[in-house]
Amino acid sequence: MIKLQDVSKSYYLGEEEVKAVHNVSFEIKEKEYVSILGSSGSGKSTLMYLIGLLEQPTSGKILLDGKDVSHFSDDKLSAIRNKHVGFVFQSFNLINKFTVLENVLLPTRYAKTKIDFNPQKRADALLKRLGIYERKDFFPNKISGGEQQRVAIVRALMMKPKIILADEPTGNLDTKTGDEILDVLEDLNKDVGVTVVLVTHEKAVADRTKRKIYMRDGNMVDKYL
Amino acid sequence: MAITALADFKRNKVRTVLTSLGIMIGVMSVVLLIALGLGLKNYIKEQFEGMGANLIMIMPGSGFSSGEGGEALGAGMAGMVGGSLEFDEKDLKSLQGIAGVDYVAPMFLKTTTIGFGGKKESGYAEGTNEEAFKMLNLELLEGEAFTKSDVTRRAKVAVLGYVIAENLFGDPADGVGRTVQVGTQRFKVIGVIKKKGDSGMDTAAFLPYKTTFGSLNPDKTFYNIYLGVTLEDDIPYVKEKAEEALLRRYDEGEFSVTEQAEILSTVNQIFSIINSVLVAIGSISLIVGGIGIMNIMYATVTERTKEIGIRRAVGATEKEILNQFLTESVILSVFGGVAGLIFASLIILGIRVFFPASLNLLSVIIAVVISSAIGVFFGVFPAKRAAKLSPIEAIRYE
Repeated sequence: MIKLQDVSKSYYLGEEEVKAVHNVSFEIKEKEYVSILGSSGSGKSTLMYLIGLLEQPTSGKILLDGKDVSHFSDDKLSAIRNKHVGFVFQSFNLINKFTVLENVLLPTRYAKTKIDFNPQKRADALLKRLGIYERKDFFPNKISGGEQQRVAIVRALMMKPKIILADEPTGNLDTKTGDEILDVLEDLNKDVGVTVVLVTHEKAVADRTKRKIYMRDGNMVDKYL
Repeated sequence: MAITALADFKRNKVRTVLTSLGIMIGVMSVVLLIALGLGLKNYIKEQFEGMGANLIMIMPGSGFSSGEGGEALGAGMAGMVGGSLEFDEKDLKSLQGIAGVDYVAPMFLKTTTIGFGGKKESGYAEGTNEEAFKMLNLELLEGEAFTKSDVTRRAKVAVLGYVIAENLFGDPADGVGRTVQVGTQRFKVIGVIKKKGDSGMDTAAFLPYKTTFGSLNPDKTFYNIYLGVTLEDDIPYVKEKAEEALLRRYDEGEFSVTEQAEILSTVNQIFSIINSVLVAIGSISLIVGGIGIMNIMYATVTERTKEIGIRRAVGATEKEILNQFLTESVILSVFGGVAGLIFASLIILGIRVFFPASLNLLSVIIAVVISSAIGVFFGVFPAKRAAKLSPIEAIRYE
């Protein structure tokens, strides 16, 4: 479904060029459950943003369903992100002035084509499924971290995405709550068939996925050290 | 998008109101100044038009007739205020002889005191003839106007303005039949005029001009002479003949012969200049208000960096972010504009009691158009900054 071909991404910190991701190639297939494992600064988050089309590669190609999308316009990339990609972040990234329900409905406001479902009904159903329906009129800062992450997952699922990209989704949670979140992602992968890419620095977390991509110093490596 | 923006303002009521305040004050002052300027202009125009049609005015000084431009204007004003030349009865006679002239009305004007019993009020002694009542549209509240024979036989009669009569007698109508002292001369009041709303006329004692020849007007002169022309088509001819007649006695530039239309256009000219100056002053506050909005929008963009990142992640395009912030600044400034308009209207309603200010469609259009334009102009820079934020940096922003 998503294929990276010799993808590199570099930044400039003043004069100095920082190669965050260097010549990485791999493919993620539909309905896969993959983790990207690496220590901090290994380029794993940059890699995730590249897959999620929030970032464009300095060189190389990103193919989505066989189509090279690496140099699409902002409008087109935004449309793809909206329809096919769901993000889940370590710090939840909910908008605090919006209620849970408003947060969850946010992606539907940026739909570029007509939505083939009732947003309200879908939001209700997903909130029920993740056990946070009764929190729908709460503001994010009034609910627990585990609940906030569930809200973020519901938001990611709203537009029926092909892929969910989770960046350290358990990083701000205690072990028990973190495990529950991982259970939720695993269930979604199994039941709904959504592709899940889990970015983490914890081997134990990555061990729950079927496939692991190891990153070190911007390079894809064979083994986690 | 507008609904989102409104919801946001609801959460930040104080900030919204304070931000809009600048625009509000700006729009309010511009609308008010336009209303006052137009009101004043219309008022003066009405005063001139109230003087009857086909009127030619003869004044000392080079006057209005010398043409357009600031210099002539200045000279004209100086002429009105006090040219050295004064006209006399000889001029009246020669002007009366011109074919096509319906009437000639001299105007002698002097500030003086008007007294009755123990009371003394300051007012104007206006020496003129019976034609002035028709020419100035003076309607009688009580009694009657003086006649041609009153003028010829130097009758000691006076017709009082409403306000002076009210001040002297309480009920203005009570003045008829009483004797008042104008300057040092005594006059019998034979009529009181209805209120004109013009402080000059309302505090005047209209006197037969021949009667004023004496202590009030020892030189037997007039400041102005008005010519009523029977037919409009004759105005240029009468004007030319009047100039000829006066040139026999005075030099060119010492006097001016002006028709009403010319005066009106000069008045219009003066007021368009005054109006533009007023609006320019008001616009300064609009610009200050706009900068206030820009300032707050920049602060808002920084404060909401993370939100922008989140919106971008879930699929908002750069354009959508730009529009969101632009909409907010336009709503802020239009809100201010409409509030300013409402306040200005209330103030105009209030001052209407004593000043003919009027709100017109133009002010409303200006208020709305200018305030939205300010919203766009001062909102576009912060909005562009918001749209150009890198989504990833924005998401990571704490």
